[in-house]
Amino acid sequence: MSKVMSTSEAVRRFVNDGDFLFIGGYVCRPPFAAVHEIIRQKKRELTVTRSNAADDFDMLIGAGCVKRFIATFISLGLYGLARCYRRSIEKGIPHKIELEEYTNLSLPLMLMAGAMGMPFVPVKDMVGTDLMKAKAFMGENKYRMIDSPFDGSPVMLVPALNPDVAIIHVQQADEDGNAQMWGIGGDCKWGANAAKKVIVSCERIVSRETIGKDPSRTIVPAFKVVAVTEEPFGAHPGYTPGFYDVDFSFGYTYQQASNTEEGFQAFLDEWIFGVKDRAEYTHKYIQKFGYPQFKKLQAKFDYSYPVSYAF
Amino acid sequence: MVEHPDDYIKPELMACCGAREIGDGDIVIVGTGFPTMSANIAKYTHAPGATMLQESGVYDARPTRPALSVGDPCLNPGAAMIGGLVEVMGMFLQGGWIDVGFLSGSQVDKFGNINTTAIGDYDRPKSRLPGSGGANPIGSLAKHVLIIALHDRRSLAERVDFITTPGYLDGPGAREKWGLPRGTGPKVIITNKAVMRFDESTKEAYLASYHPDTSVDEVVQLTPWKLNVADDVRETEPPRAEELTALREVLDPFRMIKIYEKRGYV
Repeated sequence: MSKVMSTSEAVRRFVNDGDFLFIGGYVCRPPFAAVHEIIRQKKRELTVTRSNAADDFDMLIGAGCVKRFIATFISLGLYGLARCYRRSIEKGIPHKIELEEYTNLSLPLMLMAGAMGMPFVPVKDMVGTDLMKAKAFMGENKYRMIDSPFDGSPVMLVPALNPDVAIIHVQQADEDGNAQMWGIGGDCKWGANAAKKVIVSCERIVSRETIGKDPSRTIVPAFKVVAVTEEPFGAHPGYTPGFYDVDFSFGYTYQQASNTEEGFQAFLDEWIFGVKDRAEYTHKYIQKFGYPQFKKLQAKFDYSYPVSYAF
Repeated sequence: MVEHPDDYIKPELMACCGAREIGDGDIVIVGTGFPTMSANIAKYTHAPGATMLQESGVYDARPTRPALSVGDPCLNPGAAMIGGLVEVMGMFLQGGWIDVGFLSGSQVDKFGNINTTAIGDYDRPKSRLPGSGGANPIGSLAKHVLIIALHDRRSLAERVDFITTPGYLDGPGAREKWGLPRGTGPKVIITNKAVMRFDESTKEAYLASYHPDTSVDEVVQLTPWKLNVADDVRETEPPRAEELTALREVLDPFRMIKIYEKRGYV
């Protein structure tokens, strides 16, 4: 059964105000086409999560889509602190988001626990630090300390997370949603499998037969997927291994724009509200920066040796 | 006779100080900037058997340009293994396999606790910082932690505003009380003025060596806690010729390290 649809339709049908969203990516493969669509459709009161958030989360916060953020870290990488995030926390602009803070060990394991149907998971980090004192909307359920039933030592338990919707961007998927990814994974596989519904954005839709030639690369099976959207260049200004590089100069453009509220609004107007979808965005990118700049981002080909699954 | 060219900049000296803390065969979890430079200097000089991981999921990357983030595209082709956070932070770090972790912080205190969360009150911060990311688990679980910091009375503190990442917490026995693995904890604080190590009994940082253009008095004066001075305190060994060759000819031909001078590492 084909689940292929536009990103606009996928976001309209499967992302509701107030939902808890996992948004995959780690500089590698952020689902920017869908993030922009969430902003364009003015979704509100979202709870969002992923380990090591970046410009995509900063935009969602600045655009007023986010109520709560289950976080580990957010920055603009090379370009320093996340501007909209800081304005939200320090000055309440556009409003102060609520933060529950974990780490790049505990949060991925909470998603892993969610994916596996475990109620909670023991972690060895966070103990003894002020991350234990900082509690927000999860209250006492942010974590619990117990004495290990096995040896009596102190153990921190953190709860499983089960987002309503996961949105991920991968290299390829079939029409039914079997999604294949390669390269840096971040917490993408676990976040996707922890969610009740998955929206798969991909560089290209391939046949079920192509998926079957290398099934070990599939990170989400079709039965968890509710929508498949084909979005070439869909992770820009992040990158997709084998397709295109990080666009550092665009990252700088975003930093400069987001330095001020006015600049940020102008950025939204130009790159999100001013275009109807990712195809128009890409067209606009080429018009504004020139084809050579676009072409320069495209990955060289350096294929691995084919693998054989034959018996 | 070891050669010490005198045309180095302070960040290069700091990168070399970091490199000297890495042993041959060590498994090192790195971020970008100083950690990557230090680990690579070590690899090209005394520690060819050291291997690096990035928390994003990469083991033994072979980048052909300097990585600008731990998720950088250049870390993908040529790596020996790529997974994600559950593999690197879960299986390898929490699993107890990481020898050296490298951290920097906006604020570092005498017990090696690091703040990357907020300056000022947590609920009404003067400045909101990025958060833990991988820092807390690395500080909790790597066998040795190397800390990079600016040496002034703002970046160093008697007590950080918020403990994001554990050093020795509030002193001797604290890590053990919380069940953190035995034998872990910060090993050294490398600043633009000095190298500080931790006293076995008090767990406080003391002055081990001061950099060539400074002095014991200046370092003590720039440190906001009562800084003890090692009996055998000495001048930090400047970068060796082979360390600088590795850094400038192999790792950083465009001298991107100079950006740290702009950030105050002078």
